Amino acid sequence: MSPIRPYTIRVSQTEVDKLNQKLALSEFPNELEDAGRNYGAPLGEVKRLVTFWKDVFKWSVVEKEMNKLPNFETTIDVDGFGPLDIHFLHEVSSVKTAIPLLFVHGWPGSFLEVTRLLPFLQESAKNHGPAFHVVAISLPNFAFSSGVTKRGFGLQHYAEVCHKLMLVLGYYEYVTCGTDIGSSITRLMSKLYPSSLKALYTNLVPALPPSPWSLNPFPFLSFLARHILNLYTPAEKAGLEYTRYFQKEGMGYYNLQTTKPQTVSYALVDSPVGFLAWMWEKMHDWTDGYVWSDEEVCTWVSLYWFSRAGVESGLRLYYESTRGDEPARAGGYIPHTKLGLAYFPREMFRLPKAWGHGLGNVVYEKEHKKGGHFAAWEVPEAVAGDLIAMFGKDGGAYGCVKGNAGYASQPS
Amino acid sequence: MAAIQKFQFQNSPGGVAKLREKLSQTLFPDELEDATWDYGVPLQDVKRVAAYWRDDFDWKKFEDRINKLPNYKASVTVDGFDPLEIHFVHKRSSKNNAIPLLFLHGWPGSFLEVEKLLPLLINEKQSGGASFHIVAPSLPNHGFSSGVKSRGFGLSQYSEAMHKLMLSLGYDQFACAGGDWGMCIGRVMSQRFPTSLKVCYYSLVPSTPPSPATPWTFVPFLIKHLLKMYTAAESEGLARSQEFQKTGMGYYQLQTTRPQTIGYLLADSPVGLLAWIYEKLRDWTDNYPWTDEEICTWVSMYWFSTAGPAASVRLYYESLRGEFPTKSGGYVPHVKLGLAYFPKEIFRLPKAWGSSLGEVVFEHEHERGGHFASWEVPEGVAGDLQVMFGKGGGAYGAVKVDKN
Repeated sequence: MSPIRPYTIRVSQTEVDKLNQKLALSEFPNELEDAGRNYGAPLGEVKRLVTFWKDVFKWSVVEKEMNKLPNFETTIDVDGFGPLDIHFLHEVSSVKTAIPLLFVHGWPGSFLEVTRLLPFLQESAKNHGPAFHVVAISLPNFAFSSGVTKRGFGLQHYAEVCHKLMLVLGYYEYVTCGTDIGSSITRLMSKLYPSSLKALYTNLVPALPPSPWSLNPFPFLSFLARHILNLYTPAEKAGLEYTRYFQKEGMGYYNLQTTKPQTVSYALVDSPVGFLAWMWEKMHDWTDGYVWSDEEVCTWVSLYWFSRAGVESGLRLYYESTRGDEPARAGGYIPHTKLGLAYFPREMFRLPKAWGHGLGNVVYEKEHKKGGHFAAWEVPEAVAGDLIAMFGKDGGAYGCVKGNAGYASQPS
Repeated sequence: MAAIQKFQFQNSPGGVAKLREKLSQTLFPDELEDATWDYGVPLQDVKRVAAYWRDDFDWKKFEDRINKLPNYKASVTVDGFDPLEIHFVHKRSSKNNAIPLLFLHGWPGSFLEVEKLLPLLINEKQSGGASFHIVAPSLPNHGFSSGVKSRGFGLSQYSEAMHKLMLSLGYDQFACAGGDWGMCIGRVMSQRFPTSLKVCYYSLVPSTPPSPATPWTFVPFLIKHLLKMYTAAESEGLARSQEFQKTGMGYYQLQTTRPQTIGYLLADSPVGLLAWIYEKLRDWTDNYPWTDEEICTWVSMYWFSTAGPAASVRLYYESLRGEFPTKSGGYVPHVKLGLAYFPKEIFRLPKAWGSSLGEVVFEHEHERGGHFASWEVPEGVAGDLQVMFGKGGGAYGAVKVDKN
């Protein structure tokens, strides 16, 4: 395996100039009267953000701040796809036996999402709570990692890269925190690498109703009874309603990206306005009233715009994830890996907690009152709190990583 | 009555210059090895057509070809909305008892789709065949018609606008021909205005399987389906329809839910718009050999439309909501139907299901053609209309014409 190298983010001035050149040529559509958010990202907001991106936002300042983080790069070989340069953050705890934790982002997220968790996790380490060695990968095709040039780079390959990265860092056993497609990737990792991935935490719980075919008929019968008699709690009912609404009204991008990613890429790559609107709509709609600053929005968008493999490469994950040997799939009981499930009110799918129990050995479960799809960004204290509780001395996943229980002295 | 004026289209030199500048500044994505058409339009195709559009597209020819047609504009007011200026082509037959035929385009089509049909339908010298007065509008939000400014302009409103246009031209009774949205608007119009719209010809047939409520059609359907007794063409059509549902409806899901979001892309990136449209031109047709000129003509119709390209996709959003959503209607009585089945249409369902739509007086299974039948196989479409409305045809005499 290739050595680990410190990495400096360096987007060329040419790239920055090209962006500004394009922004200056922007042409906007009109908008229907009283459109609100019903038709997509509102015109006023997009115009304001584009103006900020062009006239106020300074990528060089943001880049400087990002370079203060512990950035590294290594090269990982994937059979059939060649060597890939993988960018990642690696924050090593002062507690030697800290728990190795891999944070896996999704789309349109990034490694940056982990940075808000870090202060809370560091605090935990100081206060005799569990400590973590935190690794936040930039998935292949995202941010500063290489792009993939061949067809068929599916979820199992993403899982392979994530797993190999932890091995390269010397973490043969580890735990994960996954969001969005990172949730699917980490679930697949638990299936493919059960002796390494000891516990998994996610805020996107894509459970299916209990299956009639499982060995224990009780969950299915209970589900059937509750469903027919409409015996859901008000929170569960609201969750199911929202899930149905999201499926109907919010999945256009998903349907498109899983079928014709190249077609939409021509527009997304050529129009920074369009790409910003594409991302901003999700950043707003998938969060729980989170007040994004213009700076935050432009930072997130710029991470895609200036990414090494281009915005088009990240989209292909959607296409590949619904094909191949290991398509993204909810449901299915995966044994061995302990599960921590977090339910946030504005997540895309909010399904009854009982369905989550069909996913595996759920050792931690928390229903939150605030937060959405980007929980680690919106409510980092809550997510960090979950990890601390799950892996702490009283937690269901305590001591799951041999020799790295997260405390300065070994558990007795 | 709406004041009708002649309309002459003129290229905008500033607009063309800005388009060329944008095309010169295009940033292209990369592409996976061996991507072919599986992920969307191939890179080399987009690059080729974009270069042609920038350097070789003949803008004067574009202008002339539009102005060769008899273009007009009329003001039409739909209830609850500001007045709209509707552009339309209006070609009258020399025969006074010709049938007024409203030709409606869809997306990403335009009024120009009537171009090849006109010489075939306006055939003064021939006797025995049907004659037509042809009206081919730009739908609101498309071509050279106004954009709509407020919410809720759905299929009901489109049909009202088109109906009012025909009335303003003195056609109290008329027939309609269309595919894509043209078909949907025709269906709603036939429900709302059955005394005016007497016959519809559809090249896209949105039939549904027979329902158990009508056992005389349901039982044969069930038997055929379970025993897989469809003809080869029907089986292929069903498979094609299912494939389209599975991999070809992303644009539809997006446009029906977030038209403004996709609008930013279509308004700002000419290459983006080009790829968006080109993919459909290729995927929805029967190996039609699109020239770069044709592609750029169709795309320019959207790039330089009066309302702009973003406005054109709002119909998708509105079509699922409001009084007459897309799936409404079922069996529509009083209107005679001509159904044309083209092998490469986006959905192509068994002929027997067509009776679920209404009284079918004409039906033709074509050997060639797809979604843009009037462009791909104009003789096929014109032939259908001639037979359907001619002596002995199922729609003969169905439209009462004034001998004015």
